[in-house]
Amino acid sequence: MRAPLSTSLRTRLTLWYLTVLALLLLIYATFVFAFQYAVLTRQIFHDEVQDAVTVEGLLYFDSHGVLQLQQDYYSRPQSHLLIDRLMEIRDLSGKTLYRSPTLGGMPLGGPLKNGEGDDGFNERIIRLADGSHALIISHIHTMQGRTMVIRLGYSLAPLRTRMLQFLLLLLIAIPGALIVAGAAGQMIARRGLRPLKEMTARAEGINANNLHDRLRVRNTNDELGQLASVFNHLLQRLEHAFQQMKRFTADAAHELRTPLASIRTVSEVALERAQEPEQYRDALAGILEEAARLNETINGLLLLARAEATEPGDEQTVFSAKELVDEVLSVLGVLIEEKHIAILQDDESIAARTTRGDRALLRIAFMNVLHNALKFSPPDSVLRISYSRSADKVRIAFHDQGPGIAPEEKQRVFDRFYTSSSQATVSGSGAGLGLSIAKLIIDRIGGTIGFEDSMQGARCVIELPLSG
Amino acid sequence: MSLARSRILIIEDDRKMSDALVSGIEAAGYDVRAASTAEEGFFLVHSHQPDLLLLDLTLPHRNGLEVLQQIRSEDTDVRVLILTSHNAVEDRVEGLRSGADDYLGKPFSFPELMARIDALLRRFLPPQMVSPLVVGDLALDTKTRSASRGGERLELTAREFDLLLYLVENRGRTVSREMLAKDIWHETSRFTPIDNVIDVQIARLRRKIDDPFAIKLLQTVRGIGFSLREPHS
Repeated sequence: MRAPLSTSLRTRLTLWYLTVLALLLLIYATFVFAFQYAVLTRQIFHDEVQDAVTVEGLLYFDSHGVLQLQQDYYSRPQSHLLIDRLMEIRDLSGKTLYRSPTLGGMPLGGPLKNGEGDDGFNERIIRLADGSHALIISHIHTMQGRTMVIRLGYSLAPLRTRMLQFLLLLLIAIPGALIVAGAAGQMIARRGLRPLKEMTARAEGINANNLHDRLRVRNTNDELGQLASVFNHLLQRLEHAFQQMKRFTADAAHELRTPLASIRTVSEVALERAQEPEQYRDALAGILEEAARLNETINGLLLLARAEATEPGDEQTVFSAKELVDEVLSVLGVLIEEKHIAILQDDESIAARTTRGDRALLRIAFMNVLHNALKFSPPDSVLRISYSRSADKVRIAFHDQGPGIAPEEKQRVFDRFYTSSSQATVSGSGAGLGLSIAKLIIDRIGGTIGFEDSMQGARCVIELPLSG
Repeated sequence: MSLARSRILIIEDDRKMSDALVSGIEAAGYDVRAASTAEEGFFLVHSHQPDLLLLDLTLPHRNGLEVLQQIRSEDTDVRVLILTSHNAVEDRVEGLRSGADDYLGKPFSFPELMARIDALLRRFLPPQMVSPLVVGDLALDTKTRSASRGGERLELTAREFDLLLYLVENRGRTVSREMLAKDIWHETSRFTPIDNVIDVQIARLRRKIDDPFAIKLLQTVRGIGFSLREPHS
């Protein structure tokens, strides 16, 4: 049985519950009915056996040699055993010696069977000529040298009538019970799901303008409470992402507007009145530089979008972190030589371990991190690159001897378009995106990047997942 | 320019871009026409029979790729260079698969466009006399990978030699940072660290080839890039 999907959860729960209950009640009723029937039938059989023994003692042949039943024996003549008793006695040739008046002349069962009543009582159900059924037993009895078969039974009609009444009672009681249970189920489900209804109403009211709204958690331990908590966490992350996006959009607009403004001003000033060719050339070159800055910012934004769109598992290759660092160092080689910076690498054996991820993106991440470290390294200083490993990560630390990063800026340096007040030396275009691009790329492959405390200089630590 | 006046057709709907390209390419000695719609472009492809088509992909009413496919289905003998702001790798692949000979993402540097145009037109012409790699008294020998100036041997690193060779091959014209990033450093695009590397590398090269000499050959063209030329030529 499958409830249509359009029905409410409450109705569906109740329906399921009712179906199970109905099935259980039916099984229970069938069992009780069968048990009751068996017990009562057994009771009749016992009565019959007892009765047969009694009857044996009451039989006699009268002076004419006709079998008679002594009728005045019973202390309780009204006993139904006496009134309703069906009895027939035949001799072994099959001739009927006695037939109780209750039979109204009908034979009690068919012809004698071979050995009938010899052993035990051969209880069985037979159909009488008038169509009613009787449970009868047979018993061999020898009296005054004559052997006879006593057949004794009771009609099953009263039993069946009673069983029918019982069945009717059950059939009336079950639907009644189901109706009551269904109503109770509906009510309980409604009470149980009431918080859900509230949550729905509240969640419907949450939009971009009130993302700070949260669902009310009634009980943190029950399922609905957990649902509300999970939902609240989701909202929190959404709100955070949304705030970040808002800030990012504002920052990006600012970052794009700055070069646009200078392009505009430089052009307007150049066109204001006739100037020397050299001045025009100067203006145009300035405009070109600003255009390059715009382009680089846009490329940075696209790179961020690309990194953001990658899922862990996309375009993964396995490579050694050390090899990637060396490749980047070689690209940046002239910068290192020019500033006479010594690169010291420790524990390179660890670095030979492989990591996995989008190599092209990670290369950009390392390029940005190393370029940043070199930019702030004073001439003739040392840039120490050390490798270590934890359980399932390889750690790469870049430790420069530059001015370092103030503790309160350790997080913010990864913000998009963030330019530190103390790092006022930011040179030219694309500034403010390098580290955030690196962070996003590394986060996306399941790594981490951050600045650690150090006595001198900045210590940037990158952790990458080992490739297993 | 030793080439016969090659004919170039530009299909580009942005008027400013189109005008700038026409005047810049004309100044380089080519016969240039411009169309702003696909229909006009088709007409000119047939009437003007250009050797090279510069095709913008985002045209009004019609996608540039459709134009390209139709030209290719007609079996017109024309080289096609796609100019577009759709710079994703997939766009590039699709453009080349549709029958383009080259692909240049907007915004591009004009010197790079000229270098591509020259390369595309040269690719189909009989090989010319290889002119000696000489600028003024600076001479390069690609066999021994050595350079000399005024007969004096210059000690260059491999990277410096490659850079100098590239500048000499493009002597007389400006080489942009994008071109250097792509052709010498083999980076897919230009970005801050690589810009710094290029600037430092150029400064070091200049120290070796120009600083000891009175005549300076390696010029910085502000806003564009670098140029190797004799000052008076």
